[in-house]
Amino acid sequence: MKNIVIIGNSAAGVAAIEGIRSRDRESKITVISDEAYLAYCRCLISNYLSGTVAEKDLTYRDAKFYKDNNVELLLEKKVERVDSKKKRIILEDKSQISYDSLIIATGSSPKIPKELKGVTKRGVFGFRTIKDTKEIITIASISHTSCVLGGGLIGLKAAYGLNKRKLDVKVIVKSGRILSQIADKTASELFLNCFQKNGIEVMLNTDISEIIGNGDLRAVKLDSGKAIGCSLVIVGKGVAPNIKLISETDIKTDKGILVDESMRTSVNDIYAAGDVAETFDLTADKYENNALWPCAVEQGRIAGLNIAGENIKYTGSLGMNSVDFFGLPLVSMGAFDTELEAASSLDREKNLYKKLVLKGSRLIGALLVGDIRNSGLYLRLIKEKADISKIKDDLLDANLSYAKIAELIKKKEEKIYL
Amino acid sequence: MKKLYYDVSKCLACKSCEIACATGKSASKDLFKAVGEEIKPRSCVIVKTTQGKNFPIACRHCKTHPCVDACIAKALTYDENKKRVIHDKDRCIGCWMCVMVCPYGAIRDNKKLKIPIRCDLCADVDEPRCIKACPVGAIMYLEEEEYDKILADKKSSKKSL
Repeated sequence: MKNIVIIGNSAAGVAAIEGIRSRDRESKITVISDEAYLAYCRCLISNYLSGTVAEKDLTYRDAKFYKDNNVELLLEKKVERVDSKKKRIILEDKSQISYDSLIIATGSSPKIPKELKGVTKRGVFGFRTIKDTKEIITIASISHTSCVLGGGLIGLKAAYGLNKRKLDVKVIVKSGRILSQIADKTASELFLNCFQKNGIEVMLNTDISEIIGNGDLRAVKLDSGKAIGCSLVIVGKGVAPNIKLISETDIKTDKGILVDESMRTSVNDIYAAGDVAETFDLTADKYENNALWPCAVEQGRIAGLNIAGENIKYTGSLGMNSVDFFGLPLVSMGAFDTELEAASSLDREKNLYKKLVLKGSRLIGALLVGDIRNSGLYLRLIKEKADISKIKDDLLDANLSYAKIAELIKKKEEKIYL
Repeated sequence: MKKLYYDVSKCLACKSCEIACATGKSASKDLFKAVGEEIKPRSCVIVKTTQGKNFPIACRHCKTHPCVDACIAKALTYDENKKRVIHDKDRCIGCWMCVMVCPYGAIRDNKKLKIPIRCDLCADVDEPRCIKACPVGAIMYLEEEEYDKILADKKSSKKSL
């Protein structure tokens, strides 16, 4: 029987509980969260903002889950620091909790550019939590115009939500394209078109120099000198792992906390999982901070299982994403935006685009817009590092099937055919 | 728990399974009415041909179920007793994460309904409709042990030939 502490109560934290409890019903589990809510579907806050998902339907695990799993859940408690020498954590209220095993699943936070003048004014938000969203909804209900800074997934999801709330939305993007993390230049053009057509103005190659207002924000000033009157600004300039609490430990970090294939950090009995962790990326062949829900679930479960005595290895993470804006779906995975050899097809009229990136005889990236069928097959070929030379010419074919790739795959878990 | 298995040596790709499946997923459950429905029903099973052989595929209700892990809306759960992936359509937001991770390419996006097309083994009736629809008996609904036995028998009879 161990005393296990999990810091963080989202995808990775919850999966860790499930991992531990699938093997160990005895150990004490304490979960600490700085939020006021039971675990919720964080990725759905844009749907909550748009009004398509109600707050009650955001619940990811209800109170029964914590009770059934015999978990002590401490909400609205922030961990100030980890004291790995004495195997304890110290909360902001100065209380202490000791542990035998610790899982750090603290996630990440929006990057807010501190140097931007006026960024602390009322009406400027990151977009990460239910709390953020509630405050945004309150202001949105009395706003006409809003600005989103950043053309990444979070910024555009916020813009999409505000647009559905009938707000006039302007997206201000410093670079020359949107969605650069999940789309290449061609795909980003298709989505830019789609956003503009649906009434969201996207201003490329534009930065803001100041947020103007007297306490409450009134306008944003662009680098061109022009100002846009607005009462709501959402900052979508990426996220950074929440690693401050381990700054006094010997835990090795890069952008996030470095973990080995067992999800262990460099310090004994401390594991990390989810957005805060930096794991080996299968296609980049180096450590990456792949802050994605499916990765967090897998990592959290493995950390939990290993604490419970298993010896399970994580095969590595992979940058991948799936999104749908205004009925136009996109799936991207691995290294899709490179100069390497690629097979592709494009029909701009129909918003159809498919690109598969090859490195030697391996598939290392895929990008699909409009028609996303079979994307899971590509993911499998990438993850398996399969030799695809035999089926290279058929990869783009919509008729691609599991049967076609079956002989290239080693890991066969399901029986299907006679 | 029973799963669908397919005898590739029998399948003719007549697509009767696809038609029975789509009809079963329609509002009217009647083939001729279903054709005229405003939102066309879609089949969960798809037969694809490769190297002269025909391979039906539908959700495998995998033991590892990566789609459940990937679901950001908790619309997918795995029922340990029934060994099935359960899809709560009311919670589903059509983010297509499940399509992205399906190891069999068996989950597709239904853009009209904004939810994925995925086989529920005809949860509304006693057994999957595709089985009866198959004119050549290529679709089997079996316990895993039964499948293993048929496979072993088939292999040994091949050897004895």
